[in-house]
Amino acid sequence: MVNGKFGKRLLRSGAAAAMFSIAMQAHAQDVTNVRMVLWPGPEGDAMQKVVDTYNKGQGTEDGINVEMVLLSRDDTFAKEATEIATGSSNVDIYFTATYNVGFFARGLQSIDDIGLDTSLYFPTAIDGLTIDGALYGLPLDVSNHFLYYRSDLMEELLGSEEQIAEFRDISEKVLGEARDPKAPEEWDTDDYLAAAAYFSRAENEDSPTRYGTVLQAKTSPFNITLWDDLLWGLGGSWTAEDGSANLHSPEAERSMEIFRTIYEERYTSPDSAQWEYGETNAALQAGSAAFALQWSAAYAELTDPERSPEVYDKIAVAPMPGDPHSTHVHTLAISLNKESQNKEAAKTWMAYLATPEAMDAYAKAGGIPSQPAVLKDNTDINPAFDAIAAHVQQYGYSIPIFPGTFEAMTALTEELSGGWVGVTDIDAALEQANSRLEALLER
Amino acid sequence: MTSTTTGALARWVLSAPLLIFLAVFAVFPLILGSWISATDRSILSTTIDFVGLSNYFQTLSDPKFWSAVRFTALFTLITTIATLVFGFLLALLVNRKFPGKTVLLTVLILPIMVAPALMGIMFRLVLNADIGLVPAVLNRFGLDLYLFSPHFVVNLLVVLEVLQWTPFTFLILYAGLQALPQDVFEAAAIDGSSAWRTTFQITVPLMVPAFFVAGFLRAVDALRTFDVIFVLTGGGPGTLTSTLSIYIYKKAFIEGSFGLASAAAMLVLLMVVPLIPLVIRRVTTQVGDVQ
Repeated sequence: MVNGKFGKRLLRSGAAAAMFSIAMQAHAQDVTNVRMVLWPGPEGDAMQKVVDTYNKGQGTEDGINVEMVLLSRDDTFAKEATEIATGSSNVDIYFTATYNVGFFARGLQSIDDIGLDTSLYFPTAIDGLTIDGALYGLPLDVSNHFLYYRSDLMEELLGSEEQIAEFRDISEKVLGEARDPKAPEEWDTDDYLAAAAYFSRAENEDSPTRYGTVLQAKTSPFNITLWDDLLWGLGGSWTAEDGSANLHSPEAERSMEIFRTIYEERYTSPDSAQWEYGETNAALQAGSAAFALQWSAAYAELTDPERSPEVYDKIAVAPMPGDPHSTHVHTLAISLNKESQNKEAAKTWMAYLATPEAMDAYAKAGGIPSQPAVLKDNTDINPAFDAIAAHVQQYGYSIPIFPGTFEAMTALTEELSGGWVGVTDIDAALEQANSRLEALLER
Repeated sequence: MTSTTTGALARWVLSAPLLIFLAVFAVFPLILGSWISATDRSILSTTIDFVGLSNYFQTLSDPKFWSAVRFTALFTLITTIATLVFGFLLALLVNRKFPGKTVLLTVLILPIMVAPALMGIMFRLVLNADIGLVPAVLNRFGLDLYLFSPHFVVNLLVVLEVLQWTPFTFLILYAGLQALPQDVFEAAAIDGSSAWRTTFQITVPLMVPAFFVAGFLRAVDALRTFDVIFVLTGGGPGTLTSTLSIYIYKKAFIEGSFGLASAAAMLVLLMVVPLIPLVIRRVTTQVGDVQ
């Protein structure tokens, strides 16, 4: 028995709290929580903004709350491999990419039924996420390569007879034939090598930069893609027309020779044997290299007055050197976990993400969506968007997509990186790489 | 209930938490790992078939496994000896009273506090040719040092490992020094023994058990090295700096072959197990035995 005003107030408060709790539980039961993995960095930051907008707006109508799970950038895929291997339903949506969607396919469910308008996307993005005719990933960011170069140095070279003569002498020494310097937009792989020599003090003591270029030669699966661009730029590929491994081709050998020459003749820093994305940016920012093959994501940093005060207004981009110009393209994506307990809610969220409006918000938040129209609409935010859209469409290629694609990238960089920097013989490295690729293709 | 039964029960009850912990976190994973190593478990396949010793034979016939074994063994041997030598020298230096000793001890053990992966990233920045402090200072004196080039990179990895883990061996050996019987040293001083002779003929023999403890713990740790090397070199160029841990990691998470990765891990365990009784025998050596 409760006596007095205090007791009544206590009863009323208790009743109100109970009612509120019941109401909240009912609301919670109405809302489905969708857990989605992404990695930290620009993609995770941009997606978080889109997720927040959805959760506060459309999500309330759909009865869906999206929760982002950010894993570390280094081992996101390793953690996901473990989850998939154990048949876990911890997360509803995995973070994937064109180079590993085949590897994860066993744990994924096709998203053909979410009503995706594939015409909005780059064809390479859709093709790279399609296995046996079924789509296994919703494309997010597109990644390609540019040739970043110092426009001031190139203008100076092309406008000076004295420097042109010097370039001819150096190119004759390096290539066995004298060449005139060209604008980077017209470079083939030999022009690239000759220019690397010309802008290196090891070959030209009057060079304005210490090194001509920067190799990203660390044993990393992503670094093989830069070498791939030379291979494709010479008309080669990982595979022959019949689908068999083709890394003992003359094109592959020439690509190896170019990297090896650049490294051994010191047209790149000797330390670049362990360099990757970050060090390449640092070399360009410090003015120690005249040009470099680098990911499109670097554009924002290299042209930012605060982060690149010495060179921000002198950096320009060109297609990757080659005839034909060729840039590796891969697409980051999200894929539906086959074991998810919330498939319908996850598909609803993915369908929302596929809309141009959602991708526009993603672009404005710092992502690089794989919808060309959205990129073109947002060139005021990132001037590189226009070039990305143009290069992906004109020069983009996809490495062969099969369950062992990422494993192949790792195997090739393991075998070839030693050849790039003189640790192993070029022919032996290519032979070994070819046999490993062959084994993976056959598997 | 007799007192013997009560005593036995008490022993089991008191040991239970540790036994349960070991069962859950050591014995069970070991059994599971052994089982997986005998299957073809892979991320690419929905079925799991028993394959017996096939994974072991495949691993033992893989040149990359042996290349990783060679590098890991060499790396472990060099870094273990170096950390023991430097740790002991530091312990001898610090084993006396002087002002600021506490501060120095704190500074000395700081490197252990840094996560190995972070250590790798730190040195990647500090030694960078364009933005690093060390190359900038060296350039002032007209010196160029390319520590990440294939000629130096193995040495660099050894130096970083020694830098990070010398404090660990120092702590164990310093504790060992502190525990040595002082009367032996007093007798040596009375007999006019030189510092050199005292160190090599009294201190070092008495410290053998401590050396074995520190050496064993350090060797086991070095054998598992992954983070620093993975961050700095990814195991390359080629497979020049690939350790067993990196080999196993790639088998499991890049190739998705959990069976092969488990077999490689079991083989590493089998390589280490024979050393354990040897170490235990040495660690339990009495001072009297040494003398």
